Amino acid sequence: MRPLTGILLSLALLLAGCRRSSGPDRTIVYNCAASTADMAALRPAQEQFFARTGIRVKLNPFSGEEKLYAMIAAGQAPDVFYTNSAVRDRLAAEGRLLDLRPWLETDPLWRRLRPEVRAAAASADGGVYSLSNWSQTCGVYYNRALFAAAGIPAPTADWTWADLRAAAKALTKVGGPGGRTERYGIFIPAHFIEALEQMNHAPLEKDALFLTIPPEAREVYAEYLGLIRAGAMPDVRRVQALGMQAAQMLESGRVAMLVEAVPHAGLAETLTIDWAVAPLPRFGGKEPRYFRSASGGLSISAATKNPADARRTLTWLIGEAAPYQPNPVLADVPFVAAWEEKYPRLRGRGFREVWELSERHPGGDPRYFVRFASWAMGPVMSRFQPWLDRLWSGDATLDQVVAAVPGVNAGVRQDLERQLRSQSLRPAWKAALEHELSAAPK
Amino acid sequence: MKARELSPLAGTLVRSGLTYAGLVTLGALFALPVAWMLSSSLSSLPAVFAQPYRWLPSPLHWENYTRAVTLLPVPRFLLNTVVITAPVMVATLFSSALVAYGFARFRFPGRDALFALCLATMMLPGQVTMIPLYMVFAKLGWVDTYLPLIVPALFGSPFYIFLLRQFFLSIPRDSEEAALLDGASRLRIWWSILLPQARPAVATVLVFTFIGTWNDFFGPLLYLNSPEQATLTLGLNLMKTQVLGSGVVEWNVLMAASLLVLVPNVVLFFVAQKHFLKGLTMGAGK
Amino acid sequence: MKAEHRQGWLFVSPWVIGFLLLTAGPMLYSLYLSFTAASLLSPPEWVGLENYRRLASDPLFYRSLGNTAVYALMGVPAGLLLSLGLALLLNAPVRGQGFFRTLFFLPSVTNTVALSLLWLWLLNPEFGLLNAGLRGCGLAGPLWLQSEAWAKPALVLMSLWTAGGQAVIFLAALQGVPRELTEAAAIDGAGPVRRFFTITLPMISPALLFNLIMGLVGALQVFTSAFVMTGGVQPGSEGGPNQATLFIVLYLYKKAFQEFEMGYASALAWVLFALITACTALAFRLARERVHYESATP
Repeated sequence: MRPLTGILLSLALLLAGCRRSSGPDRTIVYNCAASTADMAALRPAQEQFFARTGIRVKLNPFSGEEKLYAMIAAGQAPDVFYTNSAVRDRLAAEGRLLDLRPWLETDPLWRRLRPEVRAAAASADGGVYSLSNWSQTCGVYYNRALFAAAGIPAPTADWTWADLRAAAKALTKVGGPGGRTERYGIFIPAHFIEALEQMNHAPLEKDALFLTIPPEAREVYAEYLGLIRAGAMPDVRRVQALGMQAAQMLESGRVAMLVEAVPHAGLAETLTIDWAVAPLPRFGGKEPRYFRSASGGLSISAATKNPADARRTLTWLIGEAAPYQPNPVLADVPFVAAWEEKYPRLRGRGFREVWELSERHPGGDPRYFVRFASWAMGPVMSRFQPWLDRLWSGDATLDQVVAAVPGVNAGVRQDLERQLRSQSLRPAWKAALEHELSAAPK
Repeated sequence: MKARELSPLAGTLVRSGLTYAGLVTLGALFALPVAWMLSSSLSSLPAVFAQPYRWLPSPLHWENYTRAVTLLPVPRFLLNTVVITAPVMVATLFSSALVAYGFARFRFPGRDALFALCLATMMLPGQVTMIPLYMVFAKLGWVDTYLPLIVPALFGSPFYIFLLRQFFLSIPRDSEEAALLDGASRLRIWWSILLPQARPAVATVLVFTFIGTWNDFFGPLLYLNSPEQATLTLGLNLMKTQVLGSGVVEWNVLMAASLLVLVPNVVLFFVAQKHFLKGLTMGAGK
Repeated sequence: MKAEHRQGWLFVSPWVIGFLLLTAGPMLYSLYLSFTAASLLSPPEWVGLENYRRLASDPLFYRSLGNTAVYALMGVPAGLLLSLGLALLLNAPVRGQGFFRTLFFLPSVTNTVALSLLWLWLLNPEFGLLNAGLRGCGLAGPLWLQSEAWAKPALVLMSLWTAGGQAVIFLAALQGVPRELTEAAAIDGAGPVRRFFTITLPMISPALLFNLIMGLVGALQVFTSAFVMTGGVQPGSEGGPNQATLFIVLYLYKKAFQEFEMGYASALAWVLFALITACTALAFRLARERVHYESATP
């Protein structure tokens, strides 16, 4: 037993020894969520970057939120890593992220970013703690063959919600034994409701802490439910809204239209049917406000030993490095052409039109959505999601859901007030939160 | 065996018929995941999600397998996985069996309290001890090495300590006592009398530790940083990482790779299950 | 010190050393955190019993407690019965025994990514195989993971697929049942059912106790399946339909890693710890007269 233990220990120590060699001076650790293909694309780019700058970027592709927190807690935070908006604010408020603003103001990259990307970057305390490394909008993917067969004209840039509703009903096919629905006209995953609210000009406040359902949003919920009740859309509970199944539903012909992110390489690469994508429909005569931007970006750890190199790496990742190019956050990049080059199947399917429209009429980004990206996301959703579940299942009416909002917010306020008592919050954040809390109606 | 009467023979026939029926029906259910993996690993990407699902893809896309092994540096990841799994198996078995022997065969003050404590360590959800434990390993400088994955095995695992204790307690101690009277040392008795009698349990522990370590995802994810250090399971996960906008998850290739990773588990189990038969009864009965 | 005492301590010392070096510290630290208002990353502030008081009036705590209890009450007995049944089937001397044993063990070694993908497809109410089959029989299948009533049974069903692991332990225990005993009983005219209850079951009762306790520990800490299947990470998912699969560990995970309340999460964890310990102690007490050890040491 003893010799065996000895062998094992020395073997393990040997392995450990092999690992400590590289000089710590100019190595920047980058926690990336990269696929095997991205890694392959990043490697040569890394070498070029090293040759040019002397900065060695070390990729850590095995990341996850728990792991990031453990690394930060142990004082071994990576220098550059991805954060989503909610997490970014929590980490920033505890002083864990570098404020990029002082440096950004003089960096050429800042001027290259599209205006809505710059707007999305600022946090509630005025700091900039991450830069978006991706941007997207959403659109209606549709089965062109089904539209043609039913004699319905293909959606255009100025189609309205009434057109969508009519098309969805016309394309729904009930048949088979027991009156089962063979085909639904449309499916809209529930997380796109906010994008529709934006189209309907619902007042959405950036970094809001409390849930609101203004009349414009209520209209959207009513329309959404209306599609389900009319049988033109599957009950949202019936279709688990996972990315892979979006393709499945459209591909299988079980839905004729589907709202999804644009661009969506997964859809473009897997669909074999005759498909195209159209912009979201307008609500009446209202000018469109298309959803734009991503829900997070790249941050730099406040504990980085070499802030200058970390910033240089961040600039490189967003501005130049494969595989993040062509990058739609950059205003000076011909994104559509480059993206069609990368995914030729996108040509002639409406991608260009949808994208250009969203650039012309950009709406808000996820930071306008209390449900997904706000500081209060957890407290809001643990109370509000059960109401939505009841709404979908028919156990609650829309009026009841709207009436439940003050109760939800009262609970959220309790949680936030408890958080405010914590001594770990930075003063600027504490002041910003206190201001928000006092401004909100009790 | 001589045929005594007809009715027991008929009974046996009926019984084995029923056994087969049960094995085949239930077996089909339990084989479903692997059958589906096999079928989807040979499909084209859209066919993986086609409606209705085609169990026999045509044509068969064998190239998914070649793509799986070219996408990942398989030999490297395989070596890494073996380098972690082999010492963990050996260390877990020996340390757990030693500790279980202590709990099963000795009287000493505090034994029952200590055993209770050993079990209790399994009852606190790991989510709240994860960060402090990570900090311990970080202080030791062990992050991005295999040490946090291997060293804990040297101290025995409560699960296997409990399992082996239960088995040791159900083995009669006659031959151990005889050996003790002959002057054999406790370690010797443990090694040459107890462990051979507990062969089914030992086989179980080895199979379980192999599977647990080979397929472990969270441990390597947490403690390994460098791509060169990755295990096969981490590699599989790389294949399904979706990067915003550009992510196309090749589920068919992922299934092919998952099946390849599965093969050693199946082979090991098939070999080990024979030993579930060779316990003390074989020694006594043959 | 008596020689037996010393030797006993020596044999258990690997575990004791490991416990002191690696386990005790993090456990005690999380106990300490449960009395603090620790956020995930910042220094903790002592708040005494505040977290435990808050927990006593937290509706989601009771909801998750109830969910966990229902899951365990369904899953543990079903798992034990199925795995014991499988073990008996797989112990029967039939041709292709090794093949069948391997077959039943397959889901236990399958990569969780593949398994969860398969389950999502099988249980999908619109497109899934299960409901397609039920429709074929003229039945309207439930919404499974999307239905408040069926989400927990669906997760239990999933857990049963990996009963092969428990069955292996029973199978190993069955090898310790002396054939002479069952043969003697058969000659005495005892039928197979009687032989099972008077001989086989007592002989494998140590393994039964093991599987019962580990089943309890696993079921009361159920996390991964709920996390993966009912979307711990998906936006807009708060532990299944109307929080029907918000189990305690899922809830404390959300508190710790999504709402940064490590102090409160630790309090939840220690309440669960007390609960599991109590259940285990009860199981050991009930087992005292019923479990048969060939060589018990008082």
